[in-house]
Amino acid sequence: MSRFSRINTIWRKELTDILRDRRTVLAMVLVPIVLYPVLMLGSLQAFEAQAGRLRQEKYVVAVNSEVTQRWLKRIIDTDGARRMMDQGLPATAPAPSSRPAADDPEEPASPTAETGDAGDQQERVRTDVRHKPPPLEIIIVRDVPRAVNAGHAHTGVILNGPSPIADGGASSEVLVVTDQAEIRSEIASAAVGGILSRLNYQLLWQRLQREQLPSTFVEPVKITDQRIATPRKMGGSILGQIVPLILIVMTISGAVYPAIDLTAGERERGTLETLVVAPVPTMDLIAGKFIVVTLIGMLSAFLNLLSIGGTIWLGGFGSLLSRGAAVQIPLDSLPLVLLILIPLAVMFSGTLLAVCSFARSFKEAQNYVMPVLVAAMIPAVVGSLPGTRLEGPILVIPVANIVVLTRELFLGRFDPQAILWVMSSTSVYAAAAVAVAAKLFGQEAVLFADAGSIRTVFQRRFFKPARVPSTAQALLMLAVVYPLNFFIQRAIGDSQAFQGNVRFFYALSAVLVGLFAFLPLATAVYTRIQISSAFSFRSASPAAWLAALCLGASTWILASAWLAVQQMWLPMDEAFVEQMEVLMGWIKDMPVLAIVFFMAVVPAVCEELFFRGYALSGVRSGMGRWGSILIIGIAFGVYHQSVHRLITTMALGMLFATLVLQSRSLWPAMLAHVMHNSILILTATVPDVHRTLVETGWVYGAAGVSVPPTGFVLAGAALLCLGLAMSALAARERRAAPAA
Amino acid sequence: MIEADGLTKIYPNPDGSEKAAANGVSFRVEIGEVYGLLGPNGAGKTTTLRMLSGLLRPTAGRVLIDGRDVTHEPEFIKRKIGYLTANTGLYSRLTPRELLEYFAVLYDMPRAAAARRIAELVEWLGMREFLNLRCGALSTGQKQRTSIARALLADPPILILDEPTLGLDVLSNRIILSFIRDQANSGKAILLSTHALDEIETMCRRMGLIHNGRLIAEGELEELRRQTGLTRLSEIFLHLVGADEPVLAN
Repeated sequence: MSRFSRINTIWRKELTDILRDRRTVLAMVLVPIVLYPVLMLGSLQAFEAQAGRLRQEKYVVAVNSEVTQRWLKRIIDTDGARRMMDQGLPATAPAPSSRPAADDPEEPASPTAETGDAGDQQERVRTDVRHKPPPLEIIIVRDVPRAVNAGHAHTGVILNGPSPIADGGASSEVLVVTDQAEIRSEIASAAVGGILSRLNYQLLWQRLQREQLPSTFVEPVKITDQRIATPRKMGGSILGQIVPLILIVMTISGAVYPAIDLTAGERERGTLETLVVAPVPTMDLIAGKFIVVTLIGMLSAFLNLLSIGGTIWLGGFGSLLSRGAAVQIPLDSLPLVLLILIPLAVMFSGTLLAVCSFARSFKEAQNYVMPVLVAAMIPAVVGSLPGTRLEGPILVIPVANIVVLTRELFLGRFDPQAILWVMSSTSVYAAAAVAVAAKLFGQEAVLFADAGSIRTVFQRRFFKPARVPSTAQALLMLAVVYPLNFFIQRAIGDSQAFQGNVRFFYALSAVLVGLFAFLPLATAVYTRIQISSAFSFRSASPAAWLAALCLGASTWILASAWLAVQQMWLPMDEAFVEQMEVLMGWIKDMPVLAIVFFMAVVPAVCEELFFRGYALSGVRSGMGRWGSILIIGIAFGVYHQSVHRLITTMALGMLFATLVLQSRSLWPAMLAHVMHNSILILTATVPDVHRTLVETGWVYGAAGVSVPPTGFVLAGAALLCLGLAMSALAARERRAAPAA
Repeated sequence: MIEADGLTKIYPNPDGSEKAAANGVSFRVEIGEVYGLLGPNGAGKTTTLRMLSGLLRPTAGRVLIDGRDVTHEPEFIKRKIGYLTANTGLYSRLTPRELLEYFAVLYDMPRAAAARRIAELVEWLGMREFLNLRCGALSTGQKQRTSIARALLADPPILILDEPTLGLDVLSNRIILSFIRDQANSGKAILLSTHALDEIETMCRRMGLIHNGRLIAEGELEELRRQTGLTRLSEIFLHLVGADEPVLAN
């Protein structure tokens, strides 16, 4: 039977099994379909009831003298008339004071993308009482702030100087005392503030009339808001605030139960042993489980989404969320959002399966899952903070990047480069999580609770000596090094200490050596992997060295030619080019040899150790030759963090990987890589070299793109073919020779 | 035919010490034979059986099934063996029929052949009345019969049965033991691990006694009787594990 149909059988059985569990159905169906609407509508009604009460309650205003009491009572009593007048105001009514804009009766309800939370609700109550004050009772106290603080009064009014009048041009100070920690104090103050601002406006109006001035006299600048967001964008904005977080939470919480049940649960019930007795590779078993956990996670997110959509639609929630603004829900972005959710769900299932594989019982697994949930929620919340943009480190922070990307999609922003980052980084994490889960699942200590301690999985002496790292180890290494590299490089780029001088390049070199050379070497030593075979530290045949020379001398020409062609449909990123020019400026005083060493040799050596050494041998141990070449090519391309150079770096990565696999040695690839880097650096930094190239017909255009003359391209292509042929020859020689 | 040759399994403890769950265990099970493996709890029986069936990798020694090494060809060997685990792990939310159909796929059985074989096993083991109930609702005996059917599904030439009668009533016990005897008569090599000494006495010609991970005695019951001068297997057993002194002193 084919592997595919076996995995197919396994996952279908697991799905049947898990769906027959009442707990799954409860968590997946009942919660979204019954609980949400009830909770949402219930809380909405609770909010409304509370708001209604707050609007009508009687509030106490403290004043410190009888004079103030009489004055305040008079303007409260006459406030009704002023409110009537308010409604008939000309559009040019002056802004009464430095009060926030919400005071202005003409201010439209600001249709911001606020969620209907309690704070928002209170804000609306304040706006309401400002226009329509609740009953107010005035008491006289000696110390107004103390009375408000002690809760004897909700708000306080202190009149400094004479009471305000229309005559003359003087201004009277009225102090409104608020305890902003108390919602009732804030509401009472808002009501008093509304009354005072209407008084202010009336007096101003009288003064202007007396002086026979138009209302524009006190409004030299008339500010009008023009709100341009389309209803569709508003809908996207509202969805973007809540939906990504809900999707993340629901995906992970949906996946938790099946992940525990299918690993720790199986072991607790004793079915795991029965299962591994069957002649099925562990990888297929975990693949089947993993499909089910992913599916249930996504299904649960989808059901929740539907339920929330339905509740908003049917429950009148839309108007609450949008505060009355016209809103159109961008439903057509939903399929894309669900698509983006796939790698996320895969990543969660892999992580959860890996974590649960450690647990001996259901209860233990639940304890292990908690930290994962917390760890997932932190980036999710960071990503959902308003204003977080899809740029910089956010691009590769797991979970956070998906949250922000989802929001951007809802807003109709579609940035292919950002999508590439988010999807590729999430896929790398997902692949690593799955590989680790598969690796753990096959461990004896994990299969049988009584077969020794789990801790032995990590201790050095219990690692079985191996020739090469496993695919899981290689993918895990990629998943650790990628974000680390990204963050450290950003930190160096942002740090003032490294700006504008060569220390920047020392720091980058240190990172390269640490992450790409030292880390894989040290890991290999710790996990008892044979260095010479893991990193292909073997002598190479003359044919392989010749292949390296041919490739190293030709790839730079072909890469330049490709970039020139690519320029036609994907123009170079100008910011990137500018940045490169700035960097070049920093090193112009360095000796050429030092430049070549730091910018060509160190990166080439470290990257070869990492990509064509540790990662390639690890990936190769789990899959075929071409598959591993492709994976290493993609990993190498993505590592360079540039859509423009993606194709060339991928091709280079695949070329060098081919050379390593065919020659069984890392050294020729290292030479070719050093040559490629060095030649490019020399053409860019040494004026003589540059001039010679121009004389031979190279055209250096804008944006750092250079067009090689046809002769160069043909020679480069010929050299490349010769290099490939020599590499194949090296492979044939090796196969023909008796195994050493 | 099963050949265990110097099987040793050493578990590392986290504190650095080591525990030998099995230590140099060697024996052979011939075709058509029911070989008994007995020993107290924690003696190393289950560890030995897991190594025989390729679930655990021996620290030293090797297992040959029909002359082929389990460590090198685990999936080939798993097809040859029907392994009944000690704790009848069944998917409680599947019915016996679904469970057997699932394992038939895992064993690459063609659909028609699987259906025939399942019908046959249902008949032999008297499973008809509970075939379509969920496994979680079955009695211990019914579960055990389902597990045996699962182990025999692919008609493997070798059976490894870990405590097949544990916790069963007399009736289920008899069904299962007579079934095991029939299987041996039809030419299977059967390894029976159990606490129940009377079962070993009636079912097995040859047997091995495991204690503290070591095979302390092996051979036919008559040989063991001659060696120890005792007649009943329980007395022989206690004598061999060194627990008889206080009994005799009384």
